Amino acid sequence: MISENKRRWLTQVYALAIKEYLQIFRDITLMVFMVYAFTGDVYFAGSGVTLQLRNAATIVYDADRSQASRDLVRQFRPPYFSVEDAISMPSFPVSGDPSRGGDSELARGDAMISLAIPHGFERRLLRDESQSLQMRVDTTHSIPGYLASMYSARIVNDFAMRSSPLLSQLPPSVTDFFPPLRDEYRTLFNPNQDEGWFMSVSQLLNVITVFAILLPGAALVRERERGTIEQLTVSPLSPFQILLPKVFAMTSIVLLGTFLSWFFVLRPVFHVPSRGGFPLFVAVTVLYVVTSTSLGLLAATIARNMAQIGMLTIFLVAPMIFLSGAWTPPEAMPAWLRVGTLAFPLHHYINASYAILFKGAGLSIIWPSCLAIAGLGSVNVLFTLRRFRGI
Amino acid sequence: MATPQMVTDAKGIVKVYGSTEAVRGVDLQVSKGELYGLIGPDGAGKSSIMKIIAGVLAQDAGDVRVFGTSIDSEASAEAVKSRLGFMPQGLGLNLYADLSVEENIDFFAKLRLVPSAALKQRKAELLSMTRLKHFKDRPMKHLSGGMKQKLGLICSIIHEPELLILDEPTTGVDPVSRRDFWSILHSLIQDRGITALVSTAYLDEADRFTRVALLHRGKVLLQGTPEEMRRSARGSIVSVRAEPSDEAFERLRAWTPQIERRGDSLRVFVGERFGQEAISEVTEKLSSFRIESAEATDPDLEDTFIALLRRDEAKPAAPSLISRERSVASAALAIEARDLSRVFDSFRAVDSVSFQVRSGEIFGLLGANGAGKTTVIKMLTGIIPPSSGSARVGGIDVAAAGGSVKTRLGYMSQAFSLYQDLTVLENLRLYAGIYGISGARAKRRVDEILDMADLHVFLNQLSGRLPMGVRQRLALGCALIHEPQVLFLDEPTSGVDPLGRRSFWEVIYRLAREKGVGILVTTHYMSEAEHCDHIALMYAGRAVEDASPAELKARLEKEVGRILEFSCADPYRAVELLGTNGFSGPALLGSRVRIFSKSPDADLVGIARVLALAGISHGEVRERPFTMEDVFVHRITGLEQEGAA
Repeated sequence: MISENKRRWLTQVYALAIKEYLQIFRDITLMVFMVYAFTGDVYFAGSGVTLQLRNAATIVYDADRSQASRDLVRQFRPPYFSVEDAISMPSFPVSGDPSRGGDSELARGDAMISLAIPHGFERRLLRDESQSLQMRVDTTHSIPGYLASMYSARIVNDFAMRSSPLLSQLPPSVTDFFPPLRDEYRTLFNPNQDEGWFMSVSQLLNVITVFAILLPGAALVRERERGTIEQLTVSPLSPFQILLPKVFAMTSIVLLGTFLSWFFVLRPVFHVPSRGGFPLFVAVTVLYVVTSTSLGLLAATIARNMAQIGMLTIFLVAPMIFLSGAWTPPEAMPAWLRVGTLAFPLHHYINASYAILFKGAGLSIIWPSCLAIAGLGSVNVLFTLRRFRGI
Repeated sequence: MATPQMVTDAKGIVKVYGSTEAVRGVDLQVSKGELYGLIGPDGAGKSSIMKIIAGVLAQDAGDVRVFGTSIDSEASAEAVKSRLGFMPQGLGLNLYADLSVEENIDFFAKLRLVPSAALKQRKAELLSMTRLKHFKDRPMKHLSGGMKQKLGLICSIIHEPELLILDEPTTGVDPVSRRDFWSILHSLIQDRGITALVSTAYLDEADRFTRVALLHRGKVLLQGTPEEMRRSARGSIVSVRAEPSDEAFERLRAWTPQIERRGDSLRVFVGERFGQEAISEVTEKLSSFRIESAEATDPDLEDTFIALLRRDEAKPAAPSLISRERSVASAALAIEARDLSRVFDSFRAVDSVSFQVRSGEIFGLLGANGAGKTTVIKMLTGIIPPSSGSARVGGIDVAAAGGSVKTRLGYMSQAFSLYQDLTVLENLRLYAGIYGISGARAKRRVDEILDMADLHVFLNQLSGRLPMGVRQRLALGCALIHEPQVLFLDEPTSGVDPLGRRSFWEVIYRLAREKGVGILVTTHYMSEAEHCDHIALMYAGRAVEDASPAELKARLEKEVGRILEFSCADPYRAVELLGTNGFSGPALLGSRVRIFSKSPDADLVGIARVLALAGISHGEVRERPFTMEDVFVHRITGLEQEGAA
């Protein structure tokens, strides 16, 4: 038999939780937005965003027009490069010094790479003479720019090795030792290096973060704007009883969104694996969402209106995502920023999620992340409860 | 033109927002030099009409002419805008909070292309007239409500418009500032020949206007001079004190729906009967009761309004019984405030307030916006802790025992804080749950509240879509779901029409008298203060009087004498003359002049003589009973002068 007090406590919390569900499900705009975020947004991130070099527009000014130069150009292959011959482009001189060629294309952004092969390329190559090629890369967008110059350097290097008459005349017994280190890759965890896996999951985690903070924050601010929070304060409810149903309701709704995303986008479209088991991922997600909802509630004790809670959420979420390690591993950040990374639960959640889904890790491996999330969450909850008493 | 020049001539205005018809065919003619009043509760359509005439909102149907120009397009509206001054609703909403008084005036003048020489002269005149001269460097946000409204007025007349449109300029302003505002407006109209269209939610302000349109639900109920309005409800109000009071009330209510309680007495409207005839009609119905006093008076505008509404709608009488079980009025203290203070930063919002409310009593806290009423309630309900002093509710210290106090008190806040996206039933169930009421008891309580607040027809409607009056009843129902012993009502009737207000007060009476609930209520409707058993006036965080309405009036009478009132041809000069001739407290109330008199008979003659000498014709000089507004204005003015001295 449960005691009268416990029954009363449960009645109160139950009534408030029902209220939260009714309010959310009646907010059609919010519902549409949520469904989009958990499906469409995740889909676009997984299929549209890539950090690899894809179809880099390359213009080649080949002043040599020889077998060797064509050979070299052919090494710039799709899907990495998309090569166009500059012969018809007015900005290139018909003959003579090609070094200024492609300026305007690069400046306009029509091309990312311009490659100029000087007259007499093949001749000098056959004589084993040293010579230069000119390649210019637009690195405004630093990642593809960097990748393009890396790839190109490697292509030209390989080409030089193969086509050097000196090297090609050596017997195979010698070239076997050339180069002394051979690199061959075996990729772990994501054998096809499918970016769709990484991007879609990372976006799902971001969406979860945004809603876990925004939903409870907005709900609490709305109560304050309408004055209903006063009505709750004068009733025999403890701050914990007022906040718990919100955390509970919002967590379950974010979880619902996660299921939606998993079963309708991540699994069928991107074939994201769950090597360590989907239930474990769900469990970690619950832990993380509870932590984040209390962060949202904390934000709501500071914000005075809806506009402010919206801005506060952006202020909170943007650094959380940048520092989370989703884009940059924390090791690559300045030392003082690394501390920030550890202080945000998103970092630990991302670590744990990737480990579970891709690496097949179990609780025995991810427990430090879980502990960190739980620890940060407890701090949030305590702080929120304390602040909530003050409003 | 032969007829007096028409400044505004509107025919058949209709305005629809989504599925609600805000204005349903209103005709309005305002002639030059008039002070025309639009009176009605919130949602009656006042603001829409004013915005349409000011050319900032397009009507859906109807013909609006301003200065003879038909307002049917953006261009035609633009053409007359330079001759208009418009002040929208809301305290200082059209002003810039961070600009000083002078900067605000300059800004509006430049916007209206007022030449700088003219601006300088007008600014000086208006600032001294409104007594804002000493505050001209103060940022607008630090002005009091009344001062903000005066500044708003200056800003909307700095370009000397011919037509001034003011949307509820006195709402939320305390009675003293309200009187001040009206006298400034009157002299502006007098001196400059301005025509003004002014709206108000206070029915008792009708006397200030030359002509009035009474609006209700988008329609004009009545139009005419205040005198004509009063005469339109043919009949009298009989105030009767009979014992036992509750039974007498029931008896009379069975006979006529237009009846209300005012403290110990019952006010009954008797149609088509006057004076002694009306009294005897009422006393006949109460033949088996002990009648202690009975008198007949003319109905005031609110009575008229309600009489008209009842005739038009035949609305059912006040919601029926809560239950007939009687609790013995006990002497137990329901609320006790002892030296309650609250300091925000360096500002003393509440300064050592003490009072007591017994079970079964209705206690009123009266005061202007910012006087500290809401802060007192928040401390008593435990929403904010007091800086010093103690609050006890139901005999328990609020600070010490949070939970147990909270189950005993009900609270209804200013904003009727309901969950607008939940239905009526869901709101009630939610609050039942919040108070830990479940199962059969919850079901019974919800049904009881639905009966009491007459909400059955609205059961499954979202509360955000309900009319204000219904929302108010629902909010009260939610506050009562756990049968509290103490009830706090923070401005419970703002925005509710008079009919709704009356039935609301009926419920409050019953709670107090039958259930023995101790009730604390704040209001800025002075007429509502009459319902309270005792009242404290709040001014600048202090509670300055605590007595019954009758006692407060008696004290005032002892101090200043009776009130004599009359209308006359040149009220401004009359007030001046009476002042110089040594009459006490001459003041202008609308078109009427008032003085205080300790010897009415002698003064009646005196007034007639003074006015006759000056050649001012006047109407009959009559004695009128004190209202709570008189009490409030007199006390607060006294305190203000003390503060200034």
